[in-house]
Amino acid sequence: MKYALLIYDDDSAWVDLPDDEKAALRADEMPHWVALFEELGKADPNVSGKELDGRRTAKVVRVRNGERIVTDGPFAETKEILGGVFFTDLPDLDEAIRLAALIPAAKGHGSIEIRPVLQ
Amino acid sequence: MQVMALIYSDGARWDVLSGEEREVVYDRYRAFAREAQEAGVMVGGNELGPTRDATTVRVRGDETLVTDGPYAAVKEALGGYFLLECETIDEAVDWAARIPGAEHGAVEVRPVYVDPAGAAA
Repeated sequence: MKYALLIYDDDSAWVDLPDDEKAALRADEMPHWVALFEELGKADPNVSGKELDGRRTAKVVRVRNGERIVTDGPFAETKEILGGVFFTDLPDLDEAIRLAALIPAAKGHGSIEIRPVLQ
Repeated sequence: MQVMALIYSDGARWDVLSGEEREVVYDRYRAFAREAQEAGVMVGGNELGPTRDATTVRVRGDETLVTDGPYAAVKEALGGYFLLECETIDEAVDWAARIPGAEHGAVEVRPVYVDPAGAAA
């Protein structure tokens, strides 16, 4: 079964940090991510993932009656936004839940939404 | 730059479509994918299952909290995405506007994060 693990987190404390402070925070979190990648790789050697840029670079595009409407910022007006996603092929939902709980962003204030990927 | 075009739409709208009507929509998505492929822009894409099949996981303290349903109850939910390789964000916006979902829902364009340290290395 293919699953998307959608990582929702509040990036507001993060997006405006200078690059060196971001790098320091990343370094702090890195061991947790490495542990996660190990587990993900064991569960599915073909796992893939993408981290998305913060909300500042987001744009939303709508077309209404042939007219294009482009707005700045993410689609959702929630504090948490989609920050990244893993795509993975796993035996069942329980395994997806186990791995989702290992994503560092699941701790603290973030949430991981697991969605089946249609074939 | 790689850009994710996240397609948000009303699942209830999709639920009431007949098989034939869905095929018409899929045809339009296939046409978009083919065009983007021919332009050398298409990297990949996926359709997600409905939000009623979603499970949300949170860890608070030592406890793993699992709930049925999506992370947020919204009318328009993420239903799929395309991953596109574009020169600029404007080019990505142009392609996003051609995704059928932009006509009734919304397409969120998000650059994929590139680690400045990794990019410099």
